[in-house]
Amino acid sequence: MNEQTLSRRFFLKVSGAFVALAAVPSTVHAFYQDVKSFLVPPKETLPTTLTINKQPYKVTADTRSTLLDLLREELQLTGTKKGCDHGQCGACTVHVDGQRVLSCLTLTAMLPGKTVTTIEGLADGEKLHPMQQAFIECDGFQCGYCTPGQIMSAVACVNEGHTKSVAEIKEFMSGNLCRCGAYNGIVEAIQKVAK
Amino acid sequence: MEFFDNELSTLMPAEGRVEAIAKVTGKGKYAAEYTVPGVCYAVLVTSSIPAGTIKAIQVDKAKRATGVIDILYHQNKPVVPGFADETKIRESRVGLPVFYTDKIYFKGQPIALVVAESLEEATYAASLITADYTAEVFNVDFVKTHPSIPLKAAGKERGTVDEWSNAIHIVEAEYTIKEEVHNPMEMHATIAEWVGDNKVKLYEKTQGVNSVQRVISGLFSIPRENVEVISEFVGGGFGSGLRVWSNTLMAVMASLQVKRPVKLMLTRPQMFSLVGYRPESWQKIKLGADSSGKFSGMIHQAKHTTSVFENFNENITRIARLVYDFKNLKTESAIVPLNLGTPTWMRGPGDCTGDFAIESAIDELSYKLNEDPIALRLKNIALKNDPESGKPWSTHFIDECLEQGATKINWKNRKQTPGQVTEGDWQIGYGMAIGMWTSGRTQASASIVLDKSGTIIVRTAMTDIGTGTGTAMQNLAHESLGMPKNKIKVELGNSNLPPAPSQGGSTGLASLGGAVMDAATLLKQKLATYAAAINAQYKDAAAADILLSENGISYKQANAQFISYADLWKKVDEPTIEAEATSAPGEERQQFAFCSSAAHFCIVRVHSKTGKVKVDRMVCVADGGKIINEKPAANQVSGAAVGGIGMALMEEQQADVKFGSLLGNDLAGYHFAVNADAPIIEVSFIDKPDPNINQMGSKGLGEVGIIGCAAAIANAIYNATGKRLRNLPITPDKVLLG
Amino acid sequence: MRPFNFTKVTTVKDGITKKEDTGQYIAGGTNLLDLMKKHIAQPEMLVDITTISSSIKPLKTGVQIGAMVRNSTLTLDNEILTKYPLIAKAILAGASPQIRNMASTGGNLLQRTRCVYFYDVDMPCNKREPGSGCSALHGNNRMSAIVGWSEDCVAVHPSDLCIALVALDASVKVVEKNQKERIIPFKDFHRLPGNTPHQDNNLPANAIITAIEVPVNPFNKHYAYLKLRDRDSYAFALVSVAAALHLENNRIVDARLASGGVAHKPWRWSDAENFLKGKEANTANFQEAARIAAEQTKPLEGNAFKVPMLKGAIEVALQNCLTA
Repeated sequence: MNEQTLSRRFFLKVSGAFVALAAVPSTVHAFYQDVKSFLVPPKETLPTTLTINKQPYKVTADTRSTLLDLLREELQLTGTKKGCDHGQCGACTVHVDGQRVLSCLTLTAMLPGKTVTTIEGLADGEKLHPMQQAFIECDGFQCGYCTPGQIMSAVACVNEGHTKSVAEIKEFMSGNLCRCGAYNGIVEAIQKVAK
Repeated sequence: MEFFDNELSTLMPAEGRVEAIAKVTGKGKYAAEYTVPGVCYAVLVTSSIPAGTIKAIQVDKAKRATGVIDILYHQNKPVVPGFADETKIRESRVGLPVFYTDKIYFKGQPIALVVAESLEEATYAASLITADYTAEVFNVDFVKTHPSIPLKAAGKERGTVDEWSNAIHIVEAEYTIKEEVHNPMEMHATIAEWVGDNKVKLYEKTQGVNSVQRVISGLFSIPRENVEVISEFVGGGFGSGLRVWSNTLMAVMASLQVKRPVKLMLTRPQMFSLVGYRPESWQKIKLGADSSGKFSGMIHQAKHTTSVFENFNENITRIARLVYDFKNLKTESAIVPLNLGTPTWMRGPGDCTGDFAIESAIDELSYKLNEDPIALRLKNIALKNDPESGKPWSTHFIDECLEQGATKINWKNRKQTPGQVTEGDWQIGYGMAIGMWTSGRTQASASIVLDKSGTIIVRTAMTDIGTGTGTAMQNLAHESLGMPKNKIKVELGNSNLPPAPSQGGSTGLASLGGAVMDAATLLKQKLATYAAAINAQYKDAAAADILLSENGISYKQANAQFISYADLWKKVDEPTIEAEATSAPGEERQQFAFCSSAAHFCIVRVHSKTGKVKVDRMVCVADGGKIINEKPAANQVSGAAVGGIGMALMEEQQADVKFGSLLGNDLAGYHFAVNADAPIIEVSFIDKPDPNINQMGSKGLGEVGIIGCAAAIANAIYNATGKRLRNLPITPDKVLLG
Repeated sequence: MRPFNFTKVTTVKDGITKKEDTGQYIAGGTNLLDLMKKHIAQPEMLVDITTISSSIKPLKTGVQIGAMVRNSTLTLDNEILTKYPLIAKAILAGASPQIRNMASTGGNLLQRTRCVYFYDVDMPCNKREPGSGCSALHGNNRMSAIVGWSEDCVAVHPSDLCIALVALDASVKVVEKNQKERIIPFKDFHRLPGNTPHQDNNLPANAIITAIEVPVNPFNKHYAYLKLRDRDSYAFALVSVAAALHLENNRIVDARLASGGVAHKPWRWSDAENFLKGKEANTANFQEAARIAAEQTKPLEGNAFKVPMLKGAIEVALQNCLTA
């Protein structure tokens, strides 16, 4: 149906260069031989004690570590999603001390003594949280990637009482982007739980 | 990990998706989320200039950073046989021979890849790498460049232009659409691990595992079966996951180089240049009609961007040849190479763009004729035969879509003269447009397995990018076998499973469904054979007469007795009974043409003093043949309409013409619709099976949901204000100055 | 991010003592972390000051908002909602509920511009790299300033809260490196770019903002905040208007008009305010005020639309004051 062809003219020009380059040896050992000394600051770590989903955690994290990367890369709590890493999409929404916040803009170092709830901590054992149940029943997702963030945000939205109208729900859920556009079901699910 | 959280599936309400619990609990694993022991992290360094040659890359500083394992670049990389020479690169069709060229074709092109113990370490080290370039002249200015690129015929001309050059009514106008970017919520990501000599395993974000398998096996010269690709959960695609892009190759190369599993997730800004986009376009339409409103002819011209290293043509004028019965039709197109990443198919590729121009022009014509735009369309739609091939449409219900949609939105309340309805500073208008898409179908395989416990597993390699493929498989298996849904598991998105095409172009379910149903028939035939050894009456049982339940099988005819799985397995040596089937389009494609269609209606409010546009209502009525899962199907169409709102009103990626850089390429700079931008979208279906397309009678839906939305909104803005806005997106500034 | 040392302090005094010149204070982090991830800010140490001064104190002369009060707290506080509702209204027009839960009042003042050229380290930007040039001046300046800009910088301040604060004649309480307290009038806190656009504001080096004070005012009945943007929510302003009227029998005793998205600092339309004083609150006078404001603007090549948009927004915002 669609055409996709490679334009020749540019690669013909590069051919000489890359044939020569392909011959460069590339072992990791050789790679380190000519390292010169530069002042590159070493990583710094910091011990942090916090509670995640009712479990106490003691972590020694890179000071640069965000809560999002801590959850996903260190603690295997991958339910919290990375959609932009810059506070522009809401996929990483979690609750800290009961408030919805963005874990991508939260440093682990700033969390001592805090209580974090992620999507993994929302259900009561096998019993789903009513918002999770409502998202299923209202089909409030498609690909599911923004869903944990939507649900964490939706739970907060109901707790905050921002559910008086469709317009209010929509405004207070606008910090959670959904590229599949499953906004119909998301609003419906929140209405259902808010009742 | 057990993929679709199957242990919990009995808790799932009947109306939920098969994978719903995994998604709402965060347990479903997307590509970057698998736990792979020893994994290290890769972060990209990209070019700071848009064209030139790399003179030198300074990596020394980065090597000193804590945790760095290795740095790949054009002078330090593993052997990739598929990039060994010019011919092989061309044959590989991967586009960018990453690290096998020192040429820079666009800003943001990968020039190095840092591999480190942690993500923080890799990210910091990547920031320490610099490069010297010999800069070359570049161009990212589509608007200034396209006039100099000549048009070429796109398809055979129908009739002649002369025949209608004196048409009584003529609309002639130009339309532009800025670049749009897919931006699925999950950024493209790969975990690559070489698990043995010449064997690699990939957890990959893709819309087609078999396609990744094919490309990687080709590039690395290893047997296809040595490449395992797992994509069980895919966080959206919209076309960006249809190709294998450089990020996947780099992850595989890095893993080969450092001999460890490597995880590479693109950053959001990288998503704007490395995994495609809908190209910026220009179109010109000349549309003629006679005094009765019958179209006498059309010229449709289109140009769009491509990269300087690949020719991508998305065929914007194709839809001109599909919808209306033009006796005279001339379509021409051209592509404009610029120093940008290569564009690719994005939801409703080509047609979505072309449709905006055509449906806007028809709307404009309707006002010239002072005729209702629905009536004008009905007069000209090619309802019986595909105007291109001449074959009869197998089914085509766009007329019913129009009728239903008009009723739902109360079209009769629309004023034919624009600018008539106001509410304070707000002007209110109605608009509509239609969309169409050819209903494709390709070869796909599925298998169905019954185990001793009486559980069914339906399997395919096809991915489910959120369209509900898995749920449809479960529904089809349930309908074909009779087995309760909570006893039917689904496994998909793995290249070890029966092969299937990529999920795209609205062909997924239409292709796969037949295979599932055929596999069900085969399985029942097998069961009947085994059953006949227990009860002779089963000997003549047709597959259609066999029913499965939780505990055993029964034969609908002759009151044949129930046979429990326990009894059945006394006659079966294998641990499971399995049937696999492949289905493909056949003769019906010679006889018929196939299409899906949709009619989109909306009411918009336009603020006369601030230029703000608000979509108050959006009604979409679609013909996708038989609807297999109503909720996910409606969700897909409403989601596409939300995409249409974005396309119409806000989506726009610009580049700085002086520096060749994308501007604001992140989710704060690139706006797509948030919850507040969309009304509750009202979706309905004709829901009549197409008897010829496949066993289910289902046609695709993914594209028609968006095709036509943008025009419907632009047409409503005209009805509200009298301003004909032909350049997307229609941001408030364009409304104010329009 | 560059590796950094992390310290938490509980008092202002401690914060000032511990922070080195190469360090930065962190509060909500919603902008700073963003900048650090893009390697635009590369502090060698972070001093966490999130637990200093986080209360809202009614004063005889007005209200004192601790610098660490979260944006969302301001939208729920009774004192704010009854006496200074324009503040809550402006906050709710910005960012998202999550970000408002994180962002601090003091940090909001220190947000850096959202100019796209500032965020791309490969392009010249005088604000990021003094002397490198302004790419937006003759580049893509659709989002840029229409008033108060210089040849060296056309960036705009992105805050909504600050527009309300400048309209309400707030002041900023800071503690300087020498531990001395100082009050900076809000209108003098942010700067115009001139030829030193890398300095967003007049906060002395190493100083900490401890509170914002808003004086008692009569603008709690007729006020509006109107924000125009490319989508309905979660986007920065093309143009925003904070409007407030003190009315007696439909006569305007006093008026406040300020805008975001138009200048390097939160912008007050003083001439338009002065015009409105003593006039009747009606459409004709609102239109004239909008015209007066628009007259002061000098748009760039790519943002001429902001002028009619500003006029429309001022008219609508003033009109909305009557129904609020």
